[in-house]
Amino acid sequence: MIAQTAAPADDHVISTQALTKRYGDAIVAVDALALRVRRGEVYGFLGPNGAGKTTTLRMLVGLVRPTSGQATVLGAPPGARAGLRRIGAMIEQPAFYPYLSGRDNLRVLARHAGVDETRVPAVLDQVGLSTRSTDRSATYSMGMKQRLGVAAALLKDPELLILDEPTNGLDPGGMAEMRDFIRSLADGGRTVLLSSHLMGEIEQVSDRVGVIRDGAIVAEGTVAELRGRAGLRVRAEPQAEAARLIGALPDVEAVTSRDGLLEIAVDTAQAAAINRTLVHAGVAVSEIYAQTASLEDVFLELTTKDGGGGS
Amino acid sequence: MRSNVSAELLILRKRAATWILLGIWTFLGVFAAYVIPYALDPQDAPLGLVELLPESVAGNLVSGFPFFGGVFALILGVFALGSEYGWDTLKTLFVQGPSRGSVFAAKLVALGLVLVAFVLLPFAGGAAASVVIAQIEDAAIDWPSAWLLARAMGAGWLILAAWAALGVLLGVMTRGTSLAIGLGILYALVVEGLLSAFAESVSFLEPLTQVFLRANGYSIATALGAPAAGIESNGPGSFGGPFVDSVQALVVLVAFVLAFAALAAFLLRRRDVA
Repeated sequence: MIAQTAAPADDHVISTQALTKRYGDAIVAVDALALRVRRGEVYGFLGPNGAGKTTTLRMLVGLVRPTSGQATVLGAPPGARAGLRRIGAMIEQPAFYPYLSGRDNLRVLARHAGVDETRVPAVLDQVGLSTRSTDRSATYSMGMKQRLGVAAALLKDPELLILDEPTNGLDPGGMAEMRDFIRSLADGGRTVLLSSHLMGEIEQVSDRVGVIRDGAIVAEGTVAELRGRAGLRVRAEPQAEAARLIGALPDVEAVTSRDGLLEIAVDTAQAAAINRTLVHAGVAVSEIYAQTASLEDVFLELTTKDGGGGS
Repeated sequence: MRSNVSAELLILRKRAATWILLGIWTFLGVFAAYVIPYALDPQDAPLGLVELLPESVAGNLVSGFPFFGGVFALILGVFALGSEYGWDTLKTLFVQGPSRGSVFAAKLVALGLVLVAFVLLPFAGGAAASVVIAQIEDAAIDWPSAWLLARAMGAGWLILAAWAALGVLLGVMTRGTSLAIGLGILYALVVEGLLSAFAESVSFLEPLTQVFLRANGYSIATALGAPAAGIESNGPGSFGGPFVDSVQALVVLVAFVLAFAALAAFLLRRRDVA
């Protein structure tokens, strides 16, 4: 049973506390989730398949009732009309009446939403579907259905957009277009909660990222924060001697060996000093370069079972 | 609510299945009520040739509603809700902001309006067939009173509404169409049909059969002039009685509509849309 919360802090459009969804005793789809989405940001909701992203989104729009916990979306409980009127959502695969045209599908939704039907051609144009709008939606490609799903989400000119894997089925050009489109929506002042398992997508579009694993947020921050500080990578022989020498230097926090490389936690400005030290000691240095962990590295570390824990 | 209903009417109006069901039901209804009896021998009809003439159009046509029309209405009801699960469109509707209750109410109202066509068209077709027969037989074209026609059409609508509501409930319960239609037809044919057939010889079944859609539908039909003898030989939709009081039948059918709709609404509101 969900407890209704008081309004969230002003800058939080979405706020959940200990939000949990269980299916029977064995399956915990979402586990005490704490999610905070700030007004005006694109929040990337990143997680592997089955991590609980879609169940979370379904709870936020009232399609699924939480087992326990609290949630507020635009100051209203999930699924409340007051909130839904200001939310545009595309959850999982976009679903439409196959025998209706794209335009008629949107007309149906506009009537149910109490939105003027003049919005229909406008949103079709926004997503680039005007020329195919009179065709039956069953004849649409996956990418076109995704666009129609986004058009449906935009019908109410919403303050908050919740998009679940919006680039599914799009070709690379379409994906890039969709990313630009999402970014432009956010630049127009909307808040976007973007769920995806595609790191590149999240990395390029999001202001902040939450990584979900087994139904719980395991890391949250900007992309830069998640990737962490840059370090140095050194390939040198003999490696053990190189590691000893580097480890003895001031400012070096840690030296670890991986795949024949030394990973050094240190300010990258120290590269020249490290190189000099090694060369003077007769160690052969074949590579030295600065490297930041990719979001993919962070993601894999956070989402594999024996990977990382909290951020 | 008005815009919700107009949205649902758009969904039903543009769906080919709606028109196909309407066309087949109209054709079969007229065919079974007029073409076949006339082709065989009009004098073999329970009331003779008069049963096929315009003056008997109310009772003759409404006798096809409790079973044959009911099955079409059941399928229409299943489609109205069950298909939404199959296409996953409920989530698309619900995230737009209308309450689940208002979507459901709009679907019921739209379904009720479409059922008006499922009454008017067979009546129009039946009336036309009866005029043709009267002209062939050189019989007088006397129409029943407008009040009787209105009551017959109203009764026909109520009978179809009860079956459609059962279809809606089955569609919601099974979250789909195939199983719902299967269960509905199984209920109409096996549960109601067989138990009603055995009711005469198995006394404890009789009170049970009196609450069936079939018994109450046919009871209204006979009150409007449908010949009981014809209903008894109505193939898989036959019913040999006992018939109940027409007011009681009316109340039972209304109660069924309300109960089926309330249960379906409860399930729709309570369950997750996953």
